[in-house]
Amino acid sequence: MAQLSSTTGEKKPARVAVVAAGVVSPLGFGLTETLNSLRRAKDCVTAVTRFSVAECRCKTAGQIPDDRLLAGPNKKPRAKRLHRASHMMIQALREVVMQLPQFEPELTIIGTTSGGMSYGEQYYRSLCRSGNLRHAPTWIANYPAQKPVIDAQEEVLGVSVPCQVIANACASGTNAIGHAFECVRSGRYQRVLTGGYDALSELVFTGFDSLQASTPEKCRPFDRHRAGMVLGEGAAILALENLELARKRGALVLAEIVGYGISTDNFHITQPDPSGVGPRQAMERALQSAEISADQVDYINAHGTATIFNDAAEGKAISQLFNGVPVSSTKSMMGHSLGAAGAIEAVISLLALRHQFLPPNINFDALDDRLDLNVVANESRPAVVRMAISNSFGFGGTNASILIRRVEA
Amino acid sequence: MSLAIAGMGWVTPLGNGVDAVWERLLRGDEATATPISEQFADRSYSAFRIPESAVTGLAHPRLRRASVISRFAATAGLEALEAAGVKVDSQNAGRIALIFAISNGGVIYTKRFYRDVVETGAQSASPLLFPETVFNAPASHLAAILGVTGTTYTVVGDGAVGLLAIKMAEDVMMDKSLDYCLVVGTEEIDWLLCDAYRRWRLLRSAPPIEPFGKQRRGMILSEGAGAIVLGREGPITIERVHLGGCYGKRAEAEEILKRIVCDLSQVEVDFVISSANGTFIDQAEQGALEQVIPDAVTYAAKPALGESVGASGLWQVILGAQALRHGELPPVLHADSAISLRLARSRMTVAGARRAIILNSGVNQQVAGLRLALR
Repeated sequence: MAQLSSTTGEKKPARVAVVAAGVVSPLGFGLTETLNSLRRAKDCVTAVTRFSVAECRCKTAGQIPDDRLLAGPNKKPRAKRLHRASHMMIQALREVVMQLPQFEPELTIIGTTSGGMSYGEQYYRSLCRSGNLRHAPTWIANYPAQKPVIDAQEEVLGVSVPCQVIANACASGTNAIGHAFECVRSGRYQRVLTGGYDALSELVFTGFDSLQASTPEKCRPFDRHRAGMVLGEGAAILALENLELARKRGALVLAEIVGYGISTDNFHITQPDPSGVGPRQAMERALQSAEISADQVDYINAHGTATIFNDAAEGKAISQLFNGVPVSSTKSMMGHSLGAAGAIEAVISLLALRHQFLPPNINFDALDDRLDLNVVANESRPAVVRMAISNSFGFGGTNASILIRRVEA
Repeated sequence: MSLAIAGMGWVTPLGNGVDAVWERLLRGDEATATPISEQFADRSYSAFRIPESAVTGLAHPRLRRASVISRFAATAGLEALEAAGVKVDSQNAGRIALIFAISNGGVIYTKRFYRDVVETGAQSASPLLFPETVFNAPASHLAAILGVTGTTYTVVGDGAVGLLAIKMAEDVMMDKSLDYCLVVGTEEIDWLLCDAYRRWRLLRSAPPIEPFGKQRRGMILSEGAGAIVLGREGPITIERVHLGGCYGKRAEAEEILKRIVCDLSQVEVDFVISSANGTFIDQAEQGALEQVIPDAVTYAAKPALGESVGASGLWQVILGAQALRHGELPPVLHADSAISLRLARSRMTVAGARRAIILNSGVNQQVAGLRLALR
């Protein structure tokens, strides 16, 4: 419901509220566990157990334990066939619906990179070994990227909502939220579900290992001794609503999304332009979209993968735009969950705004001396946080940033 | 807000180029199926493929190691831009958005990458292949070729993804600073994909695709790309897009399709471009059409072109636009004479036609529709 300006007759953009959020990640199940892990600066990266990593350099990842993930209330045979990614989406959406049972979205926009990839792997391995293909139809049917979204909607909402799945590599989650924000802001939609998911898979794990982007050591974003990323997994969903409508019905508004920026830097399919132009443009465009200046930002949740190239480019862009604003990469605690990362990090930013603290960048020893950043080192700390920016950048030179504002009760 | 089609590009197993493919469809031509086999399996499949020589004209460095899916996309995208008279340069690169529709993505390189991992271990995994396995690789290559610096999205889904991408383009174009949005649907075929669809009981071993057949004998996969440039002006508009929804069972698909057809036929519609592909979705579309607009002339191109999944929605929009522009529909191939729908059974004049519905039903739970109008 965009409003007409009384002077120009042009539509005034609608304000966009986050009215519910759900998350499952290595940091925990739900907002409360996530908050506790962030406050305690918990390292949730563990030895990989889902597949053999004997031949990989990297041996660790942020993982969600199956004993909790698959132990949901649904005991129907169908639930057993669902991919882990579907279970993650179901858990995240359940948390949203617990906060907001009456939410009826017009559209769902979700980011991912690899859908049900591990089912594709099982299918291929069985084919190669002339193995048992009895489960092949299940693997194939549950492989597509839209399936976990549709499963979660069916299971939790019980209704059919059109869904658009954005696969913009590691920027997917932030792109999905950003596009959903634009949809509500334009007045074309009033209520949109958005977020992202990804589950660990051998193919993707091996892929990052082959690029030597992942590290056998700890994930140390922005550190002088950083050696690469570790992967993660998870899902997060945010319910967005026209802020005016949300207030009219007395909804609790968790935060307001105020800006979105997207850029494409075209430098290389896996590496960012070292000048930082891509990340800088995404952040600048988010600030322009929100009509605010950089000095109004209190916290930056960085993409911060801890690869040499990403952190150099992002760090350069941040220091060009912001003057000493606290920065952390929460991937240091939970790994990089690819298409879910932007959505989980939006939830983390939302928690920082609501609980007035700065999430930490753990495993941090000393700042890369080519960077000029105010890193929230190793421990969370209380702070006045009114505005946060969350960054996600991906393969193909795709860059996205969203700005989230605290809403006073 | 109605967007207009400013240009189109088409890469299909029947040839490249909108006018060339259209002429062949009007003549009643059908793509030739070629066998596709795999070293570790006895079974082979038939597919409508594109010879690699058909897309070797592009010499951009970004395509040197890229899979054919990216070449198809680039060829179709560049044709669409040229037809629209849009030359992308540093002045306007930020005012053009790029949206890709993909279903299976870069399956050839994905299989090759994972095969190395399975057969020889993780240490043989290729760092050159891995980036090409990512869904947005084709979009990033085309963005780099064009120099697009702003909005680039890759939307994934089933056969309905093309229309979902067009809807996304419509939403993105609410930003008045954008002049154009190039929407590209693209897909490539591998044996693995054929085998997966066969195990899912959706693929038949050899042509033809029999649309709306009672036996639902299955589809034949095809590959290629379709591209449309959406702008603010042009003779054919995307008058309305209906996002449809997600179904669990075939009956639910029919219900959603009925809602789509009801919504899109609020104004007089002259013909329908169906996504009938020889599977269960044909009955769903037939049921919806018979209940809501039983007299509408219906055309289905998949018997001639195959099921190109992520590219199919764009192909159907191109077909609809061509039919409106030329006042003709090609013949529907291999349709049983007992089918009760009013099919374009032979090359058919639709002179004076003003509006067309495009129905896009995927086999993995998504359906959508849109209405084209000739200004």
